[in-house]
Amino acid sequence: MNIIQRLLFLCLFGALLTITAAAAHAQATDDYRLVVTPEALTLEIDDRVQLSGHIEDRDGAVVRDSVLFYSYNRESVSVSSNGLVKALKPGTFQLRAVAAAPNEERLSVTIPVEVTRPPITDITFTDTPGHLYEGTRNAIDLVVTDAKGFRRDPSEVTFVSSDSSIASMDDWGRLYALKAGTVRLTARAGEAAASWEVEVRPNPTAMLELTHHANDARTGDVIRFIARPRKASGDIVQDIPIDFSFTAHPGNEPAEGARAQIAEDGRFVANKAGLYTVVARAGNVAAEQTIRVDARNIQKDLRIAGHGLVNEVHTSDLWVWEGIDGRDYAVTGTWGGNGEAYFWDVTNPSRMTIIDTVTVDARTVNDVKISDDGRIGVITREGASDRKNGIVILDVRDPHNVEVITEYTDGLTGGVHNAFIYEDHVFAVNNGRRYDIIDISNPRQPETVGRFELDTPGHAIHDVWVENGIAYSSNWDDGVVAVDVGSTPAADSPEHHDIGAGSFSNPVKLGSYAYPNGWNHAAFPFKSRSTGDFYVVAGDEAFPNGLYVKDKPTVPAGWIHFIKFEGGWDNPREVARYQVPEAGTHNFWVKGDKLYVAYYNAGLRVVDISGELMGNLYEQGREIARFLPTHHNGRIPNAPMSWGPQPHKEHIFVSDWNSGIWALEIQD
Amino acid sequence: MIPRIKHFLLFASLWIAAAVQHAAAQTHHLYVAAESEDKVYQISFDAQTRETAVRDVITVGQYPTENEGPHGINIGLNGKYWYLSIAHGNPYGWLYKFRTGTNEFIARTELGMFPASLEASAATGLLYVVNFNLHGDMEPSMVSVVDPGAMTVVAEITTGIMPHGSRISCDGRHQYHVSMMTDELIEVNTAAMKISRRLSVTPPRSRTAPSGPSETPVKSPAAKPTWADPHPAAKLVYVANNKSNEVVEVDTDSWSVRRRFKTGSGPYNLEVSPNGKWMVVSYKGEGSTGVWNLQTGREAAKIANSRSIPHGVTISPDSRYAFVSVEGIGGEAGSVDVIDLEQMERVAVLEVGKQAGGIIYWKTTD
Repeated sequence: MNIIQRLLFLCLFGALLTITAAAAHAQATDDYRLVVTPEALTLEIDDRVQLSGHIEDRDGAVVRDSVLFYSYNRESVSVSSNGLVKALKPGTFQLRAVAAAPNEERLSVTIPVEVTRPPITDITFTDTPGHLYEGTRNAIDLVVTDAKGFRRDPSEVTFVSSDSSIASMDDWGRLYALKAGTVRLTARAGEAAASWEVEVRPNPTAMLELTHHANDARTGDVIRFIARPRKASGDIVQDIPIDFSFTAHPGNEPAEGARAQIAEDGRFVANKAGLYTVVARAGNVAAEQTIRVDARNIQKDLRIAGHGLVNEVHTSDLWVWEGIDGRDYAVTGTWGGNGEAYFWDVTNPSRMTIIDTVTVDARTVNDVKISDDGRIGVITREGASDRKNGIVILDVRDPHNVEVITEYTDGLTGGVHNAFIYEDHVFAVNNGRRYDIIDISNPRQPETVGRFELDTPGHAIHDVWVENGIAYSSNWDDGVVAVDVGSTPAADSPEHHDIGAGSFSNPVKLGSYAYPNGWNHAAFPFKSRSTGDFYVVAGDEAFPNGLYVKDKPTVPAGWIHFIKFEGGWDNPREVARYQVPEAGTHNFWVKGDKLYVAYYNAGLRVVDISGELMGNLYEQGREIARFLPTHHNGRIPNAPMSWGPQPHKEHIFVSDWNSGIWALEIQD
Repeated sequence: MIPRIKHFLLFASLWIAAAVQHAAAQTHHLYVAAESEDKVYQISFDAQTRETAVRDVITVGQYPTENEGPHGINIGLNGKYWYLSIAHGNPYGWLYKFRTGTNEFIARTELGMFPASLEASAATGLLYVVNFNLHGDMEPSMVSVVDPGAMTVVAEITTGIMPHGSRISCDGRHQYHVSMMTDELIEVNTAAMKISRRLSVTPPRSRTAPSGPSETPVKSPAAKPTWADPHPAAKLVYVANNKSNEVVEVDTDSWSVRRRFKTGSGPYNLEVSPNGKWMVVSYKGEGSTGVWNLQTGREAAKIANSRSIPHGVTISPDSRYAFVSVEGIGGEAGSVDVIDLEQMERVAVLEVGKQAGGIIYWKTTD
């Protein structure tokens, strides 16, 4: 046999070995089986069961008995690593068993678990009126609980009326009182049942008065319709429900959208000018009033007073202030760049120029703030090379020669996205988790003196704004949160607010309001000059269509929410919104009764928020002015992406992500 | 006989040349995460031409205007998926799952504070992710155990303070990580999902740490370990002591420190080559990478990186090339430096996004 023959033989032998080994491996996978007992579970809540498992060979002999168990749904059905199961919540779940066979093959099986729902054991009618009136529609409230004390959905309950000609339920849980008499309503679910006997009385209403104050009404004005049902004697019927509705009498606009809306309490607002007939109904007694609403007609032009182009990097937030020399300055941050903050002389906006640049170890300087006295600046850091991030405190007394006083990173290493300066303290949003309150009365030796963090699961925070000792934070899913950090009598707040409940070192939560979309990104307190009403204005940020850092424009989403705390911090209510379609909000500012919104792709918007607010202000002609900042040499050319506005003296400044800083002037 | 030997030598030479040629013709594919860019780069290195390329850029995260920080990255057991930890969330970070090659997003699940390094166990099939909790209070953190099929957290193992590095023994039975603020190497029994052993890695002359389990930070940790990697064959684990500028070799049989290697400044990540010969260590503090001969215990080469702050290390299965991610500073691009472990020199640099960190070898193609 020559060498080539030998090599060929070796190759063939090697190939044969490989094939044999592969066959043995394939066989081995069928040689073992993971057996778990029992194979499936049906449990009741709080049941405990021990699973056992082993690996057996093809002859059924146990070769290993070490099995790892875990649960795909730990909060509903738990299992220890050695198989002790406990049922926690009803539903269908899965456990998993994993073990290694003697040939190191990893075997696993899934154990289905059914945890049965406990039977409903208690149904209670709540807030039941003593009687109903003929011809009315009434909401019925129930509390339904099961054997384990869990609240259950009332939709599991069926209703039976003892006489459906007197009163009957519709499919939406509302009881219609049809004629006078006594009726028993029975709610039933499984073995549980509850009954409520109620008398339907004849409607005592002889006449319905309907009044309003709609003199010189304009679109966007909230008009209160007040309905007073009176008996033949003239006495008022106190407890009969009133239904409001309206009809619009369109003008010459074809096929337009909703012209107006009316609330259950009779508040009416028109989006379009025209005639409206409002109808109130108390049982089978009705009244109507027709009003005229005129166009709001407040639109003005915005003139470009100046522009400072920044196109090497994206521009983030801005702050404008009067320096200690009496001139006006601005600072802008940078996003996804080299850690720079630009200082501008904006005294004459037509000649805005960068007068100094501060560069810190960061990729993003998201937020920039200046103290009220114009002496101290704070910029935030994200993406520091040492991952310590934190804030940088600046001496801005001479904005032409800004000096770094110190970097402060204690406990702030996760990155500071936003900050606010209030009475020698910096409120630094720390790692999107909480805000730290840092005493900078000696700016060379900052010291953290307090912190505020929610305790809700998966909580987060994005921004914080402080006025008169109340910190208003924006917290995504947790909405806006008001915290007393030393509130003063000047604090904008609900009437029932105890002054000074908290301090910098002891922040005390006052109230909060979360809304369904979970996009809460900014918050600003606002006391209406025209009505004295207190609002917290909340803004969204969302990118359902993604964010394009280069090449093409972005279409964000979100709107402005107006929240009232009528009767105290415990009673938040969202009463109005400002929503530009197919665009998304970012930062905003309120001054006087005007709202200035950097509405990302919709540019700068100036909105009239005087008077009572209700509905979507965008549709009501309340927008005073708009401006789309674009530049053909922008970071993304010709793509408005407004970041933050600030009215300052006679100008409105706005930073734009793609084109730098703009100064605008409202033209009468 | 002599002609036969000649023929044999000729054949052997041709075979070796073909093998070398084959190796040289290989293309190496990797993934690297850019922490300050919220992007992952799929990259390649052609060993023959020494050309590098960005094959794909995958944007990750949920909040585009905020930096969420992709940090740890690894390939799953069957090579079909890659997994990525996202450091920042609300406030907890996330684990993302993508399909290799297409880079299609599959699923994500919420973990703990600043999830960092991760690896899957061949024994349990589960992923073990350390939650670094880099910017939280000095308190014990967790290792999250995730079923990668269901993308569900199935257990949380309480561990040390600021745990980092998560590498698993070849048999999948033990996960190793370090507790940075208690100067400990920690071993997890992957099947029991419990800590099995802890070992102080503090330098002897500065030893102040308690020898037992520690739930409070050492007042001034002397070692600040940042990475652990088990040897592919021997019962050894290597620990990068970032502060004391040394790598510690731990014998897992005796559970004791066997050797200490004095390194360059700030050893951060390390990896032992699949053939067990080399240990490649990123020296974060001096912008260089050390290559150690584990047999001699000597540093065979120290190679300057293309920019400052080298971060992660991954090595090709043939033990020929080490790929080192380098963060850079500020607006500077990050990079992947390719080091030839035969020639002991940097042979290629590929620029990627800012703060290049987590890096993992994916596959080799011809």
